[in-house]
Amino acid sequence: MPVVEGLLCGSILLLLLRLWRGPTAWDRLLAYNSASNRAVLVLAVASIALDEPVFLDVAITYAALSFLGVVVLSRFLEREGGFR
Amino acid sequence: MIALSLVGLGLAFVYVGTLGVLRFRDIYSRLQASGVSDNAGLGLVLIGLVVSGGWERHDAALLLLLFLLLITNPIATHSIARSAFVRRHAGEAGDR
Repeated sequence: MPVVEGLLCGSILLLLLRLWRGPTAWDRLLAYNSASNRAVLVLAVASIALDEPVFLDVAITYAALSFLGVVVLSRFLEREGGFR
Repeated sequence: MIALSLVGLGLAFVYVGTLGVLRFRDIYSRLQASGVSDNAGLGLVLIGLVVSGGWERHDAALLLLLFLLLITNPIATHSIARSAFVRRHAGEAGDR
């Protein structure tokens, strides 16, 4: 199980590359969405491997909050980045 | 053994998605790579975790997490794609 977590963290690091040099803001948003999905997976795997059910609640909350953040940011970019 | 192979298959999907996000050319290709393979990878890894320990108390939370992710992930991908599409066409139309 530490191997699985390490591979998922390596995938997050590769996605940070896209987050760093994405040409547009939507590429960065996509990389953030994908990386937060992998972070949820890391939390779930750690919860099963360490036998701590509390991490699953943290994973569910993190998934809901990152979804909210992505949707709000994409709506914000759709309106040309201004409040109207 | 079944659980380990499910988690390994999910990790393969996750890495295919990461490779697609890194290597594809424009935003829609990247969205397609990420949005399709992320769902498969998430589902396979979480089902592998459910299978790994038999039915226990926290498996309901794992299935709830899987349900939540399978609902929210396509919505987030669609929202990003719609935002990029609307903004690009607003720029190309030259109305601003």
